[in-house]
Amino acid sequence: MPSIEAVTVPKWGMTMTEGKITQWMVGEGDLVTRGQEILEIETTKVTNVVEAAASGTLRRIVLTEGTTAPVGALAGVIADEVATPEEIDAFIESYADRLGGGDEGEGGAAVPRTIVVDGGAINLLEAGPQSDETVVLLHGFGGDLSTWLFNQSALAESMRVVAIDLPGHGASSPIAGGDIFPKIVSAVEAAVEAVAPGKLHLIAHSFGGAVAAAIAANRPSRVASLTLIAPIGLSRQISREFLVDFVAAERRRPLHSVLERLFADPSKITSDMVEGTLRFKRLEGVPEALSAIADTIADDHGGQVQSIGGQLAALTCPVTILWGERDAIVPVPQQADLPANARLRIIPGIGHMPQMEASSAVNEAILENLQRG
Amino acid sequence: MAQKSFRQALNEALHFEMGRDPRVIMMGEDLTGGAGANGVKDAWGGPFGVTRGLLDAFGPERIRDTPISEAAFIGAAAGAALTGLRPIAEIMFVDFAGVCLDQIMNQAAKFRYMFGGRAKTPLVIRATYGAGSRSGSQHTQALYPIFTHIPGLKVVIPSTPYDAKGLLLQAIRDDDPVIFLEHKMLYDTVGEVPDGAYTIPFGEARVARDGKDVLIVAIGRMVQIAEEAARKLAAEGISACIIDPRTTSPLDEDTLLEFTETIGRVVIVDEANPRCSVAADISALLADKCFDALKAPIKLVTAPHAPVPYAPNLEDAYIPSADAVAKAATSIIKR
Repeated sequence: MPSIEAVTVPKWGMTMTEGKITQWMVGEGDLVTRGQEILEIETTKVTNVVEAAASGTLRRIVLTEGTTAPVGALAGVIADEVATPEEIDAFIESYADRLGGGDEGEGGAAVPRTIVVDGGAINLLEAGPQSDETVVLLHGFGGDLSTWLFNQSALAESMRVVAIDLPGHGASSPIAGGDIFPKIVSAVEAAVEAVAPGKLHLIAHSFGGAVAAAIAANRPSRVASLTLIAPIGLSRQISREFLVDFVAAERRRPLHSVLERLFADPSKITSDMVEGTLRFKRLEGVPEALSAIADTIADDHGGQVQSIGGQLAALTCPVTILWGERDAIVPVPQQADLPANARLRIIPGIGHMPQMEASSAVNEAILENLQRG
Repeated sequence: MAQKSFRQALNEALHFEMGRDPRVIMMGEDLTGGAGANGVKDAWGGPFGVTRGLLDAFGPERIRDTPISEAAFIGAAAGAALTGLRPIAEIMFVDFAGVCLDQIMNQAAKFRYMFGGRAKTPLVIRATYGAGSRSGSQHTQALYPIFTHIPGLKVVIPSTPYDAKGLLLQAIRDDDPVIFLEHKMLYDTVGEVPDGAYTIPFGEARVARDGKDVLIVAIGRMVQIAEEAARKLAAEGISACIIDPRTTSPLDEDTLLEFTETIGRVVIVDEANPRCSVAADISALLADKCFDALKAPIKLVTAPHAPVPYAPNLEDAYIPSADAVAKAATSIIKR
């Protein structure tokens, strides 16, 4: 029985409907191993690589470089040597039928919705089947729910996953006045309460990590697991310069150079990402809200204002912390700064955005931590 | 985020800023009526539906219908701007700027300079432009090169609903005279527009699409044509980057130079006539500053040097097409 596996255009983020093949990293006839990067695809948001889902030979390239195709389309075929050309042709043909034969919505874009809570309007994006437990994704300072472009769909295969725009970010309304951090925490808690009644798996990046830690400390019985990616509040220093420059950047070119500091590989940044960030930064009230948030993250000397070590140490649920080895924003903490119950995993060669730069490794680690909880 | 039309986006900006700033007033022909409205107030929301609801919200003192005399009301608006109001004057078709060019060119554009910086002229002149609506050669020109040529004027040409709202708010808050041009064929286009207020700075181009093989610079409605061309090119394996300057004065030279340096092949798409045009101007800039980075001649896809024809088939042939843009791009890639 020959083994024939499809290489398809993946769905990175709920709003992705199509992708463009920019580069095949292997040729027809090359041997590939499971997990090997074989194909580069560009979306309107970002360019990323597809890994081989099986080991074998890349027997056929169906979508050539430069082609744009819908999510789920067959890009190539990996098979063992036993498979005959006729069997591969038949597989490709059956695939064409599969894509055309209904299953509407597969490639369609999910739409975020806005709910109104005490602290204002919260924008969120839901995915995955109904489940008793809910995965909640919280992005970092200056980001929005699109930071989970490569993660939300992968995590949503067996569980409901809700990505939230923090107040003052994305399409959520800004919060003004003093005491901004507790206000953000309670607005996010209210939103979570409204959409996720059961147990929670909190996944949070950077500034969102402090929000998630506060939620877990407030309601420990609700939280089944906590996965933090380069969170604030653990190492002592932080790049205050990044925060200040990010708030100050009003135009594309300066903002692009600020965003470059987030990535080990700045070529991951697309014009859409820069434009999307500018769009929320231009909204009236947002720059002031961002400045106020920046002050809750770093003091004038680049010392961290938040401290989450104590909150984490008190938790009984599994806690995993992921960090990019080359993080230029929040440096990797010393082991002594970490609570004993937290597992730290460092991802080599990656900057402050592992969820985008090393999405497969991050998704795997998140799923592993979910299962522990 | 809410999907809104270009027309709605402009209407929201007008409502927002008139509500925020009592100095903002509007003047123009049929702002509160519309052709054949027979005296019914706000029957059509203006000739193109952009000013709908403003009369009800702000009253006839601030929404002023004028006689058919651009020379009079553009002059009055320039004067009102000098006294501290922030007028928005509407010229129904930019072609009619011909009868009030002195007020624009010799008055509004010059005040700041002739009075040693002590006079401010916060005037916005909104006008429709562009071919495609079967309106004949006196109602369809793309006259932004004339205004771009005149120092003292800022010239804004939005291509999307999002940009229309943010650029119009910026225009009203700007202390200099701004010519704000709306393509008639864009009014019904739809895109994401936030409910809240925001401004887009002038002189800041938008990268409408990333690409590495060829740079397409497109203005106003031509951005849509360029996007269509880019999809055709993608099917042939050619990756096109699109830049929309958004304002032709000031012009975001830095972005144009940056992308020309990295891509090296440039097509400029412009609906205006080609002599002394923005396309010719950008081409000269790139040839001067990026000569060593250019891998092929800069290609211009423009209307011909002729008035817009009234015959529908000729009017269609007059407007730069996606096929022509794709062909120009292919011609410099296959060298």
